[in-house]
Amino acid sequence: MKNNLLIRGFALVAALALIGVMLAACAPAAAPAPTPTAAKPAAPGTTPAAKSTAAPSAATPAAAKPPIKIGGIFDLTGGTSDVGAPYADGVKDFVAYINEKGGVNGRKIDLIGIDYAYKIPQAEEAYNRLTTQDKVPVIMGWGTGDTEAMAPKITKDKIPFMSASYSEHLVKNVQTNPYNFMIGVTYSDQMRVALKYIKDNYKGAGNPKVAFIYNDTGFGKSPMQDGKDWAAKHGVDWVDEEIVALTALDSTSQLLNMQKKNPDFAIIQETAMATATVLKDAKKLGVKTKFIGLNWASDEKVIDLAKDAAEGYIGAIPFAFISENAPGLQEVKDFNKAKGVDWNKHNIRYVQGWISMKVMAEGLKQAGDNLTGEGIKAGLETLKNYDTGGVTAPITFSPQSHKGALKMKLYEVKGGKWVPFTDYIQAIE
Amino acid sequence: MIECGVFKRTYEEDMAFRHTALARWRIYLLLLAVVVFPFVASEYYVGIANLIGIAIIGALGLNILTGFTGQISVGQGAFLGVGAYTSAILAIRLGLPFWLALPGAGLVTALVGSVFGIPSLRLKGLYLVIATLAGQVIIEWTIGHWVDLTGGSQGMTNIPSPAIGPLTFASRTSYYYLTYAIVLAATVFASNLFRSKVGRAFVAVRDRDIAAEAMGVHLFRYKILAFAVSSFYVGVAGSLWAHYLNMISPEHFTVGVSIEYLAMIIIGGLGTVSGSIFGAIFMTLLPVILRELTGPLSAMLPITQVFNALREGIFGIVIIVFLIYEPHGLAKIWRNIKDYFRLWPFSY
Repeated sequence: MKNNLLIRGFALVAALALIGVMLAACAPAAAPAPTPTAAKPAAPGTTPAAKSTAAPSAATPAAAKPPIKIGGIFDLTGGTSDVGAPYADGVKDFVAYINEKGGVNGRKIDLIGIDYAYKIPQAEEAYNRLTTQDKVPVIMGWGTGDTEAMAPKITKDKIPFMSASYSEHLVKNVQTNPYNFMIGVTYSDQMRVALKYIKDNYKGAGNPKVAFIYNDTGFGKSPMQDGKDWAAKHGVDWVDEEIVALTALDSTSQLLNMQKKNPDFAIIQETAMATATVLKDAKKLGVKTKFIGLNWASDEKVIDLAKDAAEGYIGAIPFAFISENAPGLQEVKDFNKAKGVDWNKHNIRYVQGWISMKVMAEGLKQAGDNLTGEGIKAGLETLKNYDTGGVTAPITFSPQSHKGALKMKLYEVKGGKWVPFTDYIQAIE
Repeated sequence: MIECGVFKRTYEEDMAFRHTALARWRIYLLLLAVVVFPFVASEYYVGIANLIGIAIIGALGLNILTGFTGQISVGQGAFLGVGAYTSAILAIRLGLPFWLALPGAGLVTALVGSVFGIPSLRLKGLYLVIATLAGQVIIEWTIGHWVDLTGGSQGMTNIPSPAIGPLTFASRTSYYYLTYAIVLAATVFASNLFRSKVGRAFVAVRDRDIAAEAMGVHLFRYKILAFAVSSFYVGVAGSLWAHYLNMISPEHFTVGVSIEYLAMIIIGGLGTVSGSIFGAIFMTLLPVILRELTGPLSAMLPITQVFNALREGIFGIVIIVFLIYEPHGLAKIWRNIKDYFRLWPFSY
């Protein structure tokens, strides 16, 4: 009997070992699935092989300096992965690009990226690992919900945090959030620009009626109150709010609800997937409302997914599309050409990741050897009218403002392409 | 050194917490290890130890209900949420210190837990699972939509760290000692509970409720009491978690968390105090170890892409393996190992 138990015990240990083997076996099998860009090592600077190939061109004293560690909290598999994965690729590729050029101030960048699947608890976990285990002085973040939740910690730990969330709450008051940075125009400003466009272009009698389509996350709700306030102040009737989940494949019930209020315009704060769902369902139902998407709701993927349902859709966007001839895109194109990657398979999100990391690298450069959280913050705050070569409006950080770019353009989908129809415009309060 | 039996000559010896010198020394050694740990481990691992401590309290709570009393609950995640949100609301909105918010969270969760435990009088097994699942969904929905009180999907931030006078428990190391002091109290209470009348009644209810009733165990009272005691533990764990993270959101308390806790007590060992501890350690360390393993691999393979899916998959496989090969869990394996060495080489 005893023996029997022991055998069972050993069988269990063997079974656990088997799991280990399966885990190892699992990994190569999973290899072909993800995108080819992800197949590249996250930070070539860390592997000895990459170091030795880069060494001859780089200055020899550079080898003595340790790499700069940068944390990355990305969404590769969660609710916003449709835009999060290309964004993360953009960040990684810029790091590879700058490391090939010899790094920042002669130091390589070592990017430690963690996928958090758009879950706040996992972002928290990733943040703890990055700050206590890897001891990174600075983090490239992602979502609104998680960044807002971690904001007090970021302030306490003095970790400059460049989020891809352009929630105005994060930069409204530099005193309360002194370490949160963003390059984009805030969601609230995107909303104000969209509402101003609606007000100016409404031909009917009375006030234009506006609906808001969002998702029940910090990201979706971020510009809602500011939008309502603006609408009330400038004579736009805010008639309806509808929740469509980020991964929704059907939005007919929400659109039918919305139709009862008969809005002239509807503003969408979603990512590509949900936006395409809304546009397709609207076409199917014959909804007459004109749709305007904020930054994350307006990209090439929406057109790919919604096809002709996207025709006439308007986007309020602070970044340049890859089809545009912005001089700032040339280096990105060249990098991809050298790597043998088809430029047209990238999209605006990839460029967004690239440019965010580029701005961060500029801050690191300005910080010089003072690579503490405070030093890097001061470095970023020296950026004044930083020219991104037409990819964004000029970017300015100062001790009073961490808002980055303030201006953006309006685009419309014409013939399956995004076409700008305004110059850079700035939101008014 | 070979023993041939444990002899008890007095009632005191019979009532002792541990019967042999070896068992007593093992406990002293363990306590010493717990005290010394933060001096030798890095801050990151102290942080993980804190999460383990919180999980131990939560797992003890669930084990009291599911392992000892036989009432399966998948509402664990939501009850953690009740504790965490109660504590956060007491601390932020009412400005109460942590030392009042913590027991407050425990009591409120005990109350909510006993309300959701009422169906257990009529429902058993699978039906009770569905009833507690309903509890999970109702509580989760309430937390997500009572925006004025809970902050809705954005959750609550700036939850204060515990403090006594000038001493704040904000660092991971200081919080470690606070957490493990409570873990110690929770473990001792749970161990003693099952040497008492109430604990025996719980076990009787689990083994055969009709027989228990025939013997004079008041079923309704003890089932509700089990829900209350269990939920008190879970509420305390939730409160500790909230004040440790300094922020909470509805995403911390999903049904996935409930399943994770059920996995903890199944893997650790149903109906044992040590099993809750083993299970909490195992389940908290598993993703950490997986990440450490996948880290070096990710330089060659795009494994970070599938890590999250992999984690869930491995959890599932581990539970299946345990159910097949060692349904009594890690606690039983530990006992087998002890028996083997204690009786070696004459194990018959």
